[in-house]
Amino acid sequence: MSPLDWTVLFAYLTGIVILGYWVGRNNRKLDDFFLAGREMPWWAVGLSVMATQISAITFISTTAQAYTDGMRFLVVYFALPFAMVILCLTLVPFFYRAQVFTAYEYLERRFDLKTRTLTSLCFLLQRGMAVGVTLYAPSIVLATILGLSETTTILMMAGVTILYVLKGGNRSVIWTDVAQMGVIWFGIFLCLFIAVWNLPDTFSFRDALGLAQANGRLNVMNFDTSLETPYTVWAGLIGGLFLMLSYFGCDQSQVQRYLSGSSLKESRLSLLFNAFLKVPMQFLILLTGALVFVFYHFEKPPALFNPVAESRLRAAAPPDLGPAEARYTQAFEARKAAASAFADTRRQGGEGDGSALVAAQAEFNDARKGVVDVYKRTTGDQGYGDNNYIFLTYILNELPKGAVGLVIAVIFAAAMSTLSGEFNSLATASMIDFVRRFRAPGSGSDAGDLMLSRAFTAFWGGFAVLIALQAGRLGSAIEVVNRFGSYFYGSILGVFMLAIFTKRANGTGASLGLFAGMGTVAFVASTTKIHFLWWNVIGAIAVFVAGYLISLAVPTPAKTPSSDQA
Amino acid sequence: MPLTGDENSDTGRVPVFGTWRAIYTSVIVANLVVMILIYVFSRFPY
Repeated sequence: MSPLDWTVLFAYLTGIVILGYWVGRNNRKLDDFFLAGREMPWWAVGLSVMATQISAITFISTTAQAYTDGMRFLVVYFALPFAMVILCLTLVPFFYRAQVFTAYEYLERRFDLKTRTLTSLCFLLQRGMAVGVTLYAPSIVLATILGLSETTTILMMAGVTILYVLKGGNRSVIWTDVAQMGVIWFGIFLCLFIAVWNLPDTFSFRDALGLAQANGRLNVMNFDTSLETPYTVWAGLIGGLFLMLSYFGCDQSQVQRYLSGSSLKESRLSLLFNAFLKVPMQFLILLTGALVFVFYHFEKPPALFNPVAESRLRAAAPPDLGPAEARYTQAFEARKAAASAFADTRRQGGEGDGSALVAAQAEFNDARKGVVDVYKRTTGDQGYGDNNYIFLTYILNELPKGAVGLVIAVIFAAAMSTLSGEFNSLATASMIDFVRRFRAPGSGSDAGDLMLSRAFTAFWGGFAVLIALQAGRLGSAIEVVNRFGSYFYGSILGVFMLAIFTKRANGTGASLGLFAGMGTVAFVASTTKIHFLWWNVIGAIAVFVAGYLISLAVPTPAKTPSSDQA
Repeated sequence: MPLTGDENSDTGRVPVFGTWRAIYTSVIVANLVVMILIYVFSRFPY
């Protein structure tokens, strides 16, 4: 990066830390630290909800998905607006009027203590692992740019985020999220603009869309009814609906954001704000990935997008590298020629030969695989994958000075906004559902609780670091996060469905049902090829059915006065 | 402590849209329109 890029990035990071410290300077009690005093306006909460969901993975991995496979991932968000309406009509009013800190408090009021504790524990385990993966993705960016180890960059990234969350809690999280969303939106439009700007003069935007379409990169809607086919419309609408209901209704990292609204109206508006904007925003991000794919028809991309792997291969210089690279170069030139011919034909009134483009792409893919295979044979790194480096490579090599720093700042913004919200929510669940719930009544003070809450924030930051250090051994980061979530999300939603839609369900049924649901999902995941979006549906239904039947078999114990202090 | 008033009810006035029913309907209709537009975008003969 140039000195200008470094200046932009440094100014951004400094500004966020200062903002986080300044807005969080007056926290006195848990209500301030965890719920920002319940005084946030809807637009700030709405932007924070959005920022918490957009991680650095969103930029790095979903653009790569569009580059390699098309825009099918968009269907995951199709059900989000429907989920928002359902939540505004059901869970949000209850949570807000009950003045709870965590979603799981509701389950103790409806069922019993063990159900609350169990679901909160599931949240801590699932979110604790997911936040590690969220931390890992931007660490790739830093490691590549600074030439440091991923371990160092993981520690740096987590450290900066923990710094301002420790000070200001949820108030800092929300106001920094507002600033970060401004940067993110600007960055999205900048990336899109530059992706179009970088196309050759002889290649129009319409040509670019035609080329991307011919290669399947604009494919969004697959109406296949197989449960094994990834990202079908049905998986998005049904599986995605269950995923979004669970994520926004039962996941403390989101519930805590909208509980910070100054009224029920503000909380609802914050979610509906997201309902309007989320799908268009995700569409723009994926479209950027598809346009980067088009751009690399005219600028030769590296055969290995990971620069460290590239260096290792060059250093080893195996004898079969030369022929593999020669074939790769030849395939690139052939693909470039096919793309130019495609545009020329269209300029002359023809339709353009899509089949020639597809054939050239297939040869290009094979040639690239040849180089990757040489790398794998030479280094023994059989699990090599570099999808997460594609967008990063494009940013570093093709964007003008200053813009590189800004887009890197966007990736930082996306990562830090997610990490901050998650650290804060993990600390909240730990403090409210465990420490305050189980300690002796009357013990503890505001100052002591605040200090302990900060200690939990630091603990979860450290836990995230440990997970992040292992994440590199896993597959595509975005899929890993969703896989972690899908084991738990549907099942936890099933518990809330039991609470809302049945009167006879009891705590024993809900708790055992939760185990049954997670066991069912684990079984389905290990014995079938059903796509993970469906796991949310399977988990929720399994919990609901099993929990209801168990509740019928096991009588509800007589209620004792609650000792809930939270 | 139960919360009361328009700000915490299901019948209070909503900015721009007027009522909660109107904003919920708008969200659903807007999303359906967006999905149709995306379908057209992906299948349009460029």
